[in-house]
Amino acid sequence: MSRTSLYEEHVALKAKLAPFAGFEMPIQYSGVKAEVQAVRDNVGVFDVSHMGEFFVEGRDAISFVDYLITNDFQGASIGKAVYSPLCRDNGTAIDDLIAYKLEEEKVLICVNAANIEKDWNWIDSKKSGFDIELTNRSDEFSLLAIQGPKTEDSLAKLGFKNTDAEYYSAFESTWNDQPVILARTGYTGEDGFEIFGSHETIKTLWKQMMDIGVTPCGLASRDVLRLEVCYPLYGHELNDELTPLDAALKWTVKEKKEKFIGKDSLVGATSQKRLVKLSLDKGIPREGYPVLDSNDKEIGIVTSGTMSVTTGKGICLALIDRENFPENKEFKIQVRKNIINANYHTKAFVSGGHK
Amino acid sequence: MANIPAELRYTKEHEWAKLEGEIVTVGITDFAQSSLGDIVFVELPEVGDELDKDGTFGAVESIKSASDLYSPLSGEVVEVNEELVDSPDNLNSDPYGAWMIKLKVSNSSELEELLSAEDYAPLCEE
Repeated sequence: MSRTSLYEEHVALKAKLAPFAGFEMPIQYSGVKAEVQAVRDNVGVFDVSHMGEFFVEGRDAISFVDYLITNDFQGASIGKAVYSPLCRDNGTAIDDLIAYKLEEEKVLICVNAANIEKDWNWIDSKKSGFDIELTNRSDEFSLLAIQGPKTEDSLAKLGFKNTDAEYYSAFESTWNDQPVILARTGYTGEDGFEIFGSHETIKTLWKQMMDIGVTPCGLASRDVLRLEVCYPLYGHELNDELTPLDAALKWTVKEKKEKFIGKDSLVGATSQKRLVKLSLDKGIPREGYPVLDSNDKEIGIVTSGTMSVTTGKGICLALIDRENFPENKEFKIQVRKNIINANYHTKAFVSGGHK
Repeated sequence: MANIPAELRYTKEHEWAKLEGEIVTVGITDFAQSSLGDIVFVELPEVGDELDKDGTFGAVESIKSASDLYSPLSGEVVEVNEELVDSPDNLNSDPYGAWMIKLKVSNSSELEELLSAEDYAPLCEE
């Protein structure tokens, strides 16, 4: 079991720790409710150092990443971050990631911790013919996600530069005379930054964040926050058998791109599933619960479910078989022995306040 | 350190039982509420339901997860603490005051299988 550079800090803060993707990670500190509220109303910070960092450098760095992912990377300007699935030739998802266009010849790819090895093997196998150097620097970096409406104030207080950068921008900077990479990205729907740096730099930064009152937040609140704004999570809404089209990620599949891996399978294709947002007035939908139509026929399954701290309702994402998708958009969820009418949502449960 | 009142009886599933004649009051322990974290939902049976020892009688849910509740004894539900449905957080703040159900015991020989505070304490070591 691996530990992040902040392990001792988590123990000192009496965090509940649990294994996640091979790391002993903080699940919660003060409590999930308080941590969610801190991020929605104020500012919180997550240790997400378990995530993977790959660098692509060289003359073809941008065209290589553009070829790997389904979203448009070529067209993004220098200093922008791009969210995208990473697909196989048959369109199924290996992972979803954020690619940061730091320089003309330097790209940072941040991947899910559980998929580091799988992604690395895939990406490494695709590099022939491209003038690039690919490095896996996951072990060298720690990563913090500071999130919430007071993020900019907090970072200014801590002496960061360029804290007025645009949403989804990414750039190299220095803090405390040490190199860091800043990106105005996150996984909560709120404004915020993700900050990559050496283990020492991030440890110092974490302590200073604690000193100015930024709330430490664990993976449990992170999951509630992302689900409230309906962000997919690999292993739940996306996996090795599903395509981006199944997970309502058609917007990330750029059909006009000349070539990318999976293009032939994804362009013009119809998904097998449709991802829906459902809530319950009473009860909490959980992963694996069956979803039924108005005739009580099983038509799908809950992929992620939780109690929404912000709305006070049980909320979920569910994958519905396309062929059984009910035209009347009436859904029920089986919670233990009870079949409960669900509310169908066309918008995210919480809008989030990001720029 | 979890609070384990000496006068109560316990189960391996982290429920407590208070014996008063043929009526047993049931709830979840301090260790259970602390492990679950913020409790946000409780599902309880109805008065008149017949429960089997170790059978599920409801569920308690934190934000993160759902856990089944197991009846410590066989019997008929004679009272349900409806207040918990609206205020499930009482289980966090006062686990031994926030009782869930009262049972009329149907097989008093099962009482012997419940754990004393002393026998239960080792099950709360993390």
